[in-house]
Order: sequence, then structure tokens, then C-alpha cells
Amino acid sequence: MMSYSKKDEDGDSAIFKVDRTSVFQEARLFNTSPISPRKCRLLLTKMTYLLYSGERFPVAEATSLFFGITKLFQHKDASLRQMVYLVIKELASTAEDVIMVTSSIMKDTAVGSDVVYKANAIRALCRIIDGQNVQAIERLIKTAIVDKTPSVSSAALVSAYHLHPLAKDVVRRWANETQEAVQATKSFGSSIMSGFGGSSSATSGTGMSQYHAIGLLYKMREHDRMALVKMVQQFGQAGVVKNAAGVVLLVRLAAKLAEEDPNLRKPMWTLLDGWLRHKAEMVNFEAAKAICNLSNVTDQEVAPAIHVLQLFLTSPRNVSKFTAIRILHSFASIRPVAVNPCNMDIENLIGNPNRSIATFAITTLLKTGNEASVDRLMKQISGFMADITDEFKITIVEAIRTLCLKFPQKQAGMLTFLSGVLRDEGGYEFKKSVVESMFDLIKFVSESREEALAHLCEFIEDCEFTKLAVRILHLLGTEGPKTSQPTKFIRYIYNRVVLENAIVRAAAVTALAKFGAGECGIKHPDVKKSVVVLLTRCLDDPDDEVRDRAALNLKLIKYEDETIAERFVKNESTFSLPVFEHQLIMYVTGDPSTFSTPFDISSIPIVTRAEADAQDRNNKLRSSSALPTLKPPTTGPSPSSAPGIASVSDHATTSAAAQTQKYAVQLATVPELKPYGALLKSSKEVPLTESEQEYVVTAVKHIFKNHLVLQFNIKNTLPEVLLENVTVLCQPSLPEGEEEDAGEPRLEEEFIIPALALKATDEAPGIVYVAFRRSEASEPEDPEVEASDFGYALATFSNTLKFTTKEIDPTTSEPEDMGYEDEYSVEDLELQISDYLVPSFASSFQNLWEQIGAAGEEATDTYKLSAVKGIQEACETIPAQLGLQPLEGSDLVVAQNAATHVLKLFGKTIGGGRVVATVKMAYSTKSGMVVKITCRSEEEGVATRVAGAIA
Amino acid sequence: MSGFFRRIYDWLLRLFWATELDVTMIGLQNAGKTSLLRVLAGGEFTIDSIPTVGFNMKKVQKGHVTLKCWDLGGQPRFRSMWERYCRGVSAIVFIVDSADQPSFAVAKDELHALVQKPILDGIPLLVLGNKSDLSDSIGVDELIEELDLKDITTREVACYAISAKEETNLDAVLQWLIARAKN
Repeated sequence: MMSYSKKDEDGDSAIFKVDRTSVFQEARLFNTSPISPRKCRLLLTKMTYLLYSGERFPVAEATSLFFGITKLFQHKDASLRQMVYLVIKELASTAEDVIMVTSSIMKDTAVGSDVVYKANAIRALCRIIDGQNVQAIERLIKTAIVDKTPSVSSAALVSAYHLHPLAKDVVRRWANETQEAVQATKSFGSSIMSGFGGSSSATSGTGMSQYHAIGLLYKMREHDRMALVKMVQQFGQAGVVKNAAGVVLLVRLAAKLAEEDPNLRKPMWTLLDGWLRHKAEMVNFEAAKAICNLSNVTDQEVAPAIHVLQLFLTSPRNVSKFTAIRILHSFASIRPVAVNPCNMDIENLIGNPNRSIATFAITTLLKTGNEASVDRLMKQISGFMADITDEFKITIVEAIRTLCLKFPQKQAGMLTFLSGVLRDEGGYEFKKSVVESMFDLIKFVSESREEALAHLCEFIEDCEFTKLAVRILHLLGTEGPKTSQPTKFIRYIYNRVVLENAIVRAAAVTALAKFGAGECGIKHPDVKKSVVVLLTRCLDDPDDEVRDRAALNLKLIKYEDETIAERFVKNESTFSLPVFEHQLIMYVTGDPSTFSTPFDISSIPIVTRAEADAQDRNNKLRSSSALPTLKPPTTGPSPSSAPGIASVSDHATTSAAAQTQKYAVQLATVPELKPYGALLKSSKEVPLTESEQEYVVTAVKHIFKNHLVLQFNIKNTLPEVLLENVTVLCQPSLPEGEEEDAGEPRLEEEFIIPALALKATDEAPGIVYVAFRRSEASEPEDPEVEASDFGYALATFSNTLKFTTKEIDPTTSEPEDMGYEDEYSVEDLELQISDYLVPSFASSFQNLWEQIGAAGEEATDTYKLSAVKGIQEACETIPAQLGLQPLEGSDLVVAQNAATHVLKLFGKTIGGGRVVATVKMAYSTKSGMVVKITCRSEEEGVATRVAGAIA
Repeated sequence: MSGFFRRIYDWLLRLFWATELDVTMIGLQNAGKTSLLRVLAGGEFTIDSIPTVGFNMKKVQKGHVTLKCWDLGGQPRFRSMWERYCRGVSAIVFIVDSADQPSFAVAKDELHALVQKPILDGIPLLVLGNKSDLSDSIGVDELIEELDLKDITTREVACYAISAKEETNLDAVLQWLIARAKN
């Protein structure tokens, strides 16, 4: 904005009271003659204010305003022209027929580059022009890009950036000019620059157009990796790009390249390392962050970045400190050890008056600290808890809760800390997080159970939050009876019945009943007797709910048959909540016809509490201390990898179930597959081609009771070809070393559902289904065997696409009539034992191991894995390879350089038979990785196959 | 020195008696609207101009009258927007390429469709047969016939044969337009 127009703005405070209707009414002003530039400018300013504050004009109003504004064209007041262009730029997306002003604006873009509104005109022009007309302004933009005035050059570059999606081919022709714009060194500061809206402190004097030019070049070369590499290397030379924001773009680009192509990692890292010493802080931070975010970054690679961040920790500026500690904090969740060297500096920040810095400092320390330092840290925190607000307290409590799970041995100290803060003043959210942390301790660290329960009992004596009291009472009900001295808790619980409101009383009654029922009641008859007495007293309660609960529980406890009380009072199993939720969503969002049948709750798997807890613990451990493969969510095209944590075994059970659910819905729409019954398991998508091939093919294996369906997702990437009648020729062959004998199940192809037509413009890939009958035992004369034997046939499929290609006429984009038959062979697809296994959770590995060992068969195998580089990597790949779930957190290696590790795995076959395995690993840099897998299974033949499945 | 006083005089004149007229120039593509406007504004005639995308606006100063001329694009996609720019103007100038016989029928239809719009009632219409320097151009009377101008009765209508290239009859056009200011 021009300086003098700014004065007008400041002078008129009424601008903050504008509304859309009045502005629209006032727009009559534009039709007056002669035009008053001052009044019009004011009105236009109001409009921009509305537009920028998110107000949207309806299409009719926007159009009418737009054409009103065109009446102001060619006015000799330069700043009025600027305002006009500013508003036109904003209205262009809503108003109709904006193309009308093209010629008029072009006239203003052709003026000398010292005219203040030239840049605004260029920016407005690119918003109103349509794809066909871009060519008409090509010369104009080209010259503007290399204009010596930075504002004009920037405007042209930004415009080109916006035009790129409209007219890729035209914009791409401007590459030379853009290249020139990066290299040209322009200085800001001329009076013209005051008219350039985009100048901010980030420009710090020079070369904003360099930033814009780099952005545009990237857009042009987005899909040409070699060109991008060249660009980064060329501009990455010291001194070529002066603008810090421009360098930041290069940093991000380099990081992206390093991530995508392992061959580029080394040269890109060298560049990033150089940028750590750039003179602009923002570049240093960006480079440090990029290095920290590299996947599987080595200690050696990350060391310089950590060092730079460490220096910033002692910077006098708070913002630098904050940025540095924030990057370190997020890196500490991935690789606490690497951040260790900074601990001294971080500790100095604990006392920082800036709370954000202090909180990040503490939570980082909690992550980097080893077991020995935990006690010291806890002491330091205790002194400082009183001074901070609830939300920071919550962050700290969360960090401690993670620590509890990581170092169960330290539970005593942490419990003291938690019970201490529980007594402190605090709001509901804070208390909730403390209570939940204690819940976790009770659930997962059994040594702390009794003491933690005692603390909670004390807490409910004086707890103002009904919700928390109810949750604690429930927990007391489930955990209390298992303790050695249940009577201790009964007193606390009954106190609640006497003193609290109805909601808490009802919860207390239920909790009380659990002491009287089941095992606890049998073991301690006197407890049962007093529970009955207490419950009888509750029958006089003034509240209905309390009386009802008391009466029901009393009846159940007094029942002769103990198992009834066991079942109803101490219900230990629950629905698998993730599946339940998913099913309900599917039911509710499905088409209305599904409502004709009621929701079938029996289809939801029931899990025992122990299983649910085991899963819960795993999730908690993982969400708080993510694995080294953790990647930041990128904007790049990687929709297949889930955002956030990309761990292989991550949430395996839930995700496998959800995936199968998703495919089940999809397959239900194929009538040919109906007779196969319910889908039992779907594999992950397996790529069968490189992603840059002309046809990109992925496959999914669906297992049905007696059938196997291969789903091929095929994407045609050639815009000039249409594929018709696409089928896949699948030739199953037995895996090496297995003889075909009569007892082995075979695969017989049943039918193929082809994809009819595939164009490059199709959004979704074409789907071809190939169905096989599995299990020879499914022959009709032998129904008995069919029920029990699921036949785990293994095979390798060689796959060939067959299709008719037709060329597409580029001018009419219609396919030609004549096509010819063609084939395209893709990689083989393996049907492995893991495709028949469903990872699942269980609480006690040891029990399972013994149970299954007693009932089933056992197999052992030893392998040397040369490709695996470390225990942690093996812990991620092996469960994925076997299709089993790691239990007891055994896939998390706590010690960084451990030489041996035991992985405990569990799963079920699609037939429901349990499979349990231990994988003993030994690793040394000299001899590599050696694993010994011992597998036990309930079903015959499974154990051998699982043990043989590691490749 | 006298030039200085002259400018002061002109400025005073404009201050007190200045009138601004809005004039819309329409017509089929390649009729010569943009070229005519350029010549009227005192510019050089150029033979190769690019089609107008949308519109052009130029001011023509004649004595104390300023003509604000809106030169609209003549391609079919812009014709629907003519009406918007004709609302409330002092005069509509409809330009025809008088040497392009086949286009007369379309020109007639477009013109009649426009003047029938109630919102444009009473706005004076000036029809110009441009390119009178070309040998196969038709005269004024024929043009009136071809465009059925006699049917337009509810407003002031005038028709001239002009040539923007040779600058014939342009004074008459300006005179007619300035005369609208006196009403």
C-alpha cells in the first residue's frame, strides 16, 4: 500500500464496523461522475477488509460490484488503480464474466516498469485470465519476470505460479526467464517497493523475487527429479541465492529429494550440513529440522544439526531458544540418545521465565533422561510445578506417564510425585491426567498397584469432580478384589455411599458388589458377608438408581451358583471397540436400505479385558515414544503411508481389522463373490511394478473360507492410450522346495472379472478380480473335512496383464476404433502363510506359550539375515513378514546398542487357531543378524510354515 | 506566457462547465471499434490491432466536454455483456463494417435485441458504417435499410458513413456526441 493511502486508512476507524450490505449499497458511488478517488478508495478498502476477514459476497453481488469497479478504470489516481486491482484480484474467484476486464488490465501491465500499479495489474491479470488466453499474455509475463524492478518481477513470478495449474505447457516455456530471475541480484529499497504488498521482514532487504522464482521453478520441474537435483545444487552454492526465504525453500527441496532417493541422500545431506552455517537463522533452523526429520538418520549425520541447535539454546533471543528446543523436543521422541549431549543446556532452560520454553525443556529432558537421571529430574520438577499453569502441568504429567511405562522400575518415585501433585490445587483436566497416569501405573506396572490404589482412595475422600470419583470407584471395583487386603478398600468405598451425591453413590454400590462376588467372595467369606450387609443398607437409599443397583447386586451375590455373579458382576470381556466403532459408522453411513435390518452386534469380536489392556499399553508406549522410522507428515504424494507414525507393526491388529472391513464393503458390491461368504482377511497392497512404469499395478490378496481372490489395481499412466477389457493371467506355482502331493491343497482358477476400460485420466485405478478355489477339501462329497480344514495353500503367482490397447487421438481425445491385443508382464505375487494369519493381542505370553505348546506342534528354524542392519529394524520387519503381533512391547528395543533381543509374537489363523512364536535375535556388526525362530501352533502344519516364512 | 493563461482558462472552464459523457461503443468483431476510438482520442491508425478481450476505456477531450468511451469486445462471448455497459450512458454507438455484407444480418439481430431492452429505453443511438474507404462498402441509405433502423422509433437515431483510417466524417461523429451533452 502506498504511504499516503495508508494515512486515510488510519484516519478512519469506522472501517472496523463495516458490513457487507452497507458496502454493497455504497457501491453506487462507482457510477457517479466525476469519480471521487478518495471516497472510492475508502470504499474499496472497506471491501478488501471484508474480503480479507473472510466475508464472502454472493455471486450476484460480487458480479455487480466487479462491474461497478470497472467503471473506475484508467483513473489517473495511481493508488486508486492499485486498490482497484487489489479488489478485482479478490473478487475474481466469485464474480462472473471477469474475463471482460482482460484488455483493460493488459493495458496497465504494458506501462513502464516504474509505474507503481504495474505489479498490481499483473497480479490481477493472472486471476481473471482463463486457460486459453494465457498464451496472449505470454510475452508480457516473460518480460515482466526479468524486469529489473523487484516488485514487477515478483508479481510476474507469483502470477506464473498461479497460472501453472491452468496452462502448464505455456508456463513451462518461461523457465529460462525464471532461471534468470533467480540469478539476477536486485536490491530492494527503491521507492517503488512501497507499492509491493508482499514485502515483509522475511525479505530482510534483498531478493524476494528469488524466493518466488525458486518456487516457480520447482512447480515447473516438480516431476523431473534430475532437474530438481541440478537446481538445488546450482542454487545451493554459497552466495547464489541471497534471500533467506529462498534458501529455506531449497532446504525443504533438498530434504524431500534426500527422502525420496537414497542415492541422493549423501549429496543432499552435505548441502544441508552447509546450510547449518548459513548466516540467516531461519535457514539454520530449517536445515537442522530437515536433518532431524530424515528417516533412519544416523548419529553421525545428525550430530552437526544437534550441535547447531545446542548453540541456539544459549542464544539471548527467546524465539531462537524456543525454535531450537522445539526441534530438539520432537527429535527426542525419536532418538533420545542423540539429544543427550544437549542435556546440560536444556537443564538451564527449565527455569526460563518463558513457559513454553520451560515446558519443552522439561519434556525433552524426560525423554532423553536415562533411568538414573529420572529421580533427579523429578525432584527438579516438583519444585517448579507450583509455578506453572494447568496446561503445562498436563504436558509434564503426560511425559511422566510415558516414563512410567518405559521405566517400570522407577514407579515408586513417580508414584510419589503423582500423588504429590494430586494433592495440589488444579482444575479438572489436570487432575484427570494425573488420575489417568495412575490408572496406567495400576494397569501396567503391577508392583505399584496397591500403593497407587491407596493414593486414589485418599483422593476420592476429598474429590470435587464427580466424573473422576466415578472412574476411580470403578477401578477400585475391578482391581480392589485382587489385592491381598480387600477390606481396606471397602471402608473407603462405603464412605462414598454415605457422603456423596447419587451418581457417585451408584458407582460405589457397583464397586462394592464386586468385592462380594466371584473369587474374592469365595476366598473371604467374611468380606462377602459384610458386603451383603452394606448392600442391604443401600436399599434404603433415597435415589432410585442406587437402590436398583443395590437390589440387583444383592440378588446376584446371594445366588447359589457362583458363576452367575461372576458373569454379571465381574464381566471381564468387552467388545473390541475399534471394530465396534468402525462397524457402527459403516452402518450409519451406509445407504438407507441397510436400516431395514437391525445392527448385528454379534458380528463384533469380543475381547477380554486383559487383551484390551495389552493393546492399550502398546498403543500408549508407541504414541509417546515413537519409533525411529517416524516421519513428519509430508505434503508429498504418499497417501499410502499413514501420516504420522509409519511403523510397520503399528496398531497391527486394529489396522488389519479395519483394512479387512474396508475391503469387505468393497467386495460386497461384486455379485460374483457373494457365494464365497464372509471375507476373512485382506493383505496389504503389494506393488507389482515400479511406480514410474507405464502401467502401475498393485495387488491385494483376499482370503475367503474356501477361496482366494486376488484383486489387481491397475493404473494406466499413458494419456495417449486407452486400455480395454483388461484381464490378468495368473499362473500359480508351488513355492520352491515343496512337492506337489495329494494331501496339499491346490488352487484352481474359477473366474476373472475384467476391468472394462482404463484411461490415464481416471482417478481410481481399474480393478481386476481373479478368483481361485482353495482347499481341495471343499469337494462336495466331503463336507466334514471342509469345516475343519482351511487348507493354507502357499503359492507364487506369475502375473501377466492382457488387454486391448487403443490409441487416443490427441486432438479429439476420442479413442480410435481399431485396437490391438497386448500383454504386459508384472512381478510375481507370493501367497504366504502370513496372509492367513491375523495379528492379535493377548495379555500373558508365557501362559499362551505353555498352553499352545501342550496342545499343538512346534517348529524351529535358524536364519542369518544379511540385509538387516540392527535389532530395531528386525523388530519392525519380522512381525510384518510373519503377520503376527508383537506382545509385551517386545518390538521396542529399549537399549540402543543391544546385541541380543527376544521378540514375542502372537496371532490367530483365519480359522481361529492360535499361533505363538519367539524370535531370538543376535546381532553383531561383524557377523550380521542371526535369528532363531521357534513357533508353536494349535493347528497342524502352521508352525512349520511360520518358522519357514522368514526370508 | 499566454499558453499558461490559456491553460488556466481551460482549467477554470472545465471546473465550472465541465461535462463528462459516458459513451458505449459496440458492434460485431472486426467492425473497427478499437481503431476508431484510438483515432478519436488523437492516436495513429494502425492496421493490425488485436481483438479486444473484454473492454477498453479511453477518454476523449473536446472543449469542455470529456467523452468517456467504453469500447467493448465484439466477439460473441462478450455480446451478452454489452447491456451492462449500456445502462445509463449518454449514447450508444453501434459500429458496422460497411464492407462486410454477410455480417449485416447478425449485426441487425444483435442491435435490435439490445435496443429492445427496457432498461436502455430512450438512450440515443448512433450507427456508424465504418470502412467507407473500401470500394465494396455500402452507403448510408443502404445501411439504414439493411439494419432496419426505421423500426427503432422510441429514441434518437442517427447514421453516418465514416472511415477511421481516412478520418472521414469523424468530426460529425464528435459533434453529434457532444450535442448529447446539451440535453
